Amino acid sequence: MHLLEEDQGRCVKADIISTVEFNSTGELLATGDKGGRVVVFQREQESKNQPHRRGEYNVYSTFQSHEPEFDYLKSLEIEEKINKIRWLPQQNAAYFLLSTNDKTVKLWKISERDKRPEGYNLKDEDGRIRDPTTITALRVPVLRPMDLMVEATPRRIFSNAHTYHINSISVNSDYETYMSTDDLRINLWNLEITNRSFNIVDIKPANMEELTEVITAAEFHPNQCNTFVYSSSKGSIRLCDMRTSALCDNHSKLFEEPEDPSNRSFFSEIISSISDVKFSHSGRYLMTRDYLTVKVWDVNMESKPLETYQVHDYLRSKLCSLYENDCIFDKFECVWNGTDSVLMTGSYNNFFRMFDRNTKRDVTLEASRENSKPRAILKPRKVCVGGKRRKDEISVDSLDFSKKILHTAWHPHENIIAVAATNNLYIFQDKVN
Amino acid sequence: MVAKGQKRKLHREDEGRGAAWESQLQSVLDISMDKFHRDQALVEPSLLRSVLINNTLRQVQSEVRAQVESLSAVKILTKSQTHSGSEPDFPRGPPPSEHNAPLFSLNAENMEDDFMAWTSEEDFSLSSAISVILKDLDTVIDAGGQGPCAPQRAPLGSVENLTGDARLVQSSSRAEKMSDMMPSIKMEAACPGCPQDVSLDKLLLDIDTSVFEPEVNLLQGLSDDLVKYLPSLSKSPSASSSSSLDSHGQATWEIQEIEHVMDILMRTYPQS
Repeated sequence: MHLLEEDQGRCVKADIISTVEFNSTGELLATGDKGGRVVVFQREQESKNQPHRRGEYNVYSTFQSHEPEFDYLKSLEIEEKINKIRWLPQQNAAYFLLSTNDKTVKLWKISERDKRPEGYNLKDEDGRIRDPTTITALRVPVLRPMDLMVEATPRRIFSNAHTYHINSISVNSDYETYMSTDDLRINLWNLEITNRSFNIVDIKPANMEELTEVITAAEFHPNQCNTFVYSSSKGSIRLCDMRTSALCDNHSKLFEEPEDPSNRSFFSEIISSISDVKFSHSGRYLMTRDYLTVKVWDVNMESKPLETYQVHDYLRSKLCSLYENDCIFDKFECVWNGTDSVLMTGSYNNFFRMFDRNTKRDVTLEASRENSKPRAILKPRKVCVGGKRRKDEISVDSLDFSKKILHTAWHPHENIIAVAATNNLYIFQDKVN
Repeated sequence: MVAKGQKRKLHREDEGRGAAWESQLQSVLDISMDKFHRDQALVEPSLLRSVLINNTLRQVQSEVRAQVESLSAVKILTKSQTHSGSEPDFPRGPPPSEHNAPLFSLNAENMEDDFMAWTSEEDFSLSSAISVILKDLDTVIDAGGQGPCAPQRAPLGSVENLTGDARLVQSSSRAEKMSDMMPSIKMEAACPGCPQDVSLDKLLLDIDTSVFEPEVNLLQGLSDDLVKYLPSLSKSPSASSSSSLDSHGQATWEIQEIEHVMDILMRTYPQS
């Protein structure tokens, strides 16, 4: 797969990107960062004048979504870091997205304004009130074109429903409801109603000291509005049907792979913790990411995954060090391409990996300015484990574990990917002939 | 001598598994304890992280227990062979003599007695590992007791479990709980300031047979109890009635109690 690089790094401020998401048409790309800001990029329309600038993404809107808050009751500071952004399907000229930090979900409306009314009677163009005695004639204000202004306004604020930290949000295919997930509970909201939510999953034990498992991610089925899945820190995925009961503590399906006894170690449980779960676009498959692998499950088969892909198995012998430096707790995300044929996920050293499900081929690429020029084709990278290192290879011990790619996104229809490397955003496109 | 070869084989198997396994066990324990400490100091540690670290610590704990039990089972087996006299060439001389332990406790009643009676090399290596591990657990208790002036609740702390009534009930019934919780240490003391000579006498009676291997016996007897008092490590505390009322204040109080007990024991049996 040949890719062309476009470096959009200079557009993003020096804050760590915490989430990346394309909207349903791929026209817009939103990023959230640790400072609570959301930056939305829009794809340029193709123009005949500049064919080489086909479909570049430029900044469309920037706004402060969440501010740091202080919980006076518990004496805790609530981080403003944006954990997730999810777009709503477009229904009119405005765009809507949900963004969340640890405690509060907000619905933002992003709309354009390119006309403004001119010719008021009671105030002049600057906005100052006119002296009524100077008004001699009556005129009707008219709309005149102005420079395009994109404004973001918060339309709904969904707060006070989560005791623990929100890790996921997912919009339902009914376009009326969405769910927010924290470590122990999942709540269902109506997009219109902010003062009430319904708890649909609760795994909090009566005695917190008996807690051994938490929820790590959850997602609605892309087509069936009654179905959703949630993953746990013990490596299991539960599929629930909201029609069975109001509280979906009892799963309809449990996806779990029996542990391989030959690979058992003190870290087996930690590396089995699922950091992300995604339905395929078709809804037939599930993809899960744990520390070392990506797995594809058939929704109809619970006993074991359909496919398992090794992301960075060379780390298996380094688990103790990775436990010590906390890297073992890193939560990598994973994404499907538009046709559900390719999977993508991140790794360390600014590497990210793609797996082709049909050809069974995989590739490792790097997102960094030093190693690739804009519009150059990305060169596949390789990590060597043994003693002999080839010229272009990098050894496991030279990997930079502070450069991790946790968040990536794939355009819903085309081969355009967005990769967040700490505080830089990289957008890669397929080469156009 | 065939039996010696046998014994060596057993020894090597244990040792082979033991050395690498023990070193990893030790490092996992060290790292986990360090993280546990740090998380305790945080205002709001991540729940996912806390759960994973605690589960790892529990796994370490159960592995240690399993190893201890399997080793003592091996000892029982070899000892019973000695008893029957069917294996005359089974060595019983050198190892115990290293520690001057007479073989008076050959009855299989008390596993702990067997332990210290058969102080062989593998015992020693294991017991040293266990002693280090339990020293670490000690330091957790110590640190918890002398923690920061504004004590934080445990990551899986049971603030959520508390009801208004529970707080009142718990403060009045501390005395009973204390004696409930310390049965195996055989301390009858109901409060920290109780006469020490009485408790010391009882200790001496109970630990009389293990005078040559204080470490192991203490470890064996205390490992369960000490770990029980770590609020977020206990699986099913014996004082289950109090677990639901457990508050941080009570945990600190318990930790101070344990410290006091450990002080007494360490004074009586200084570490060799």
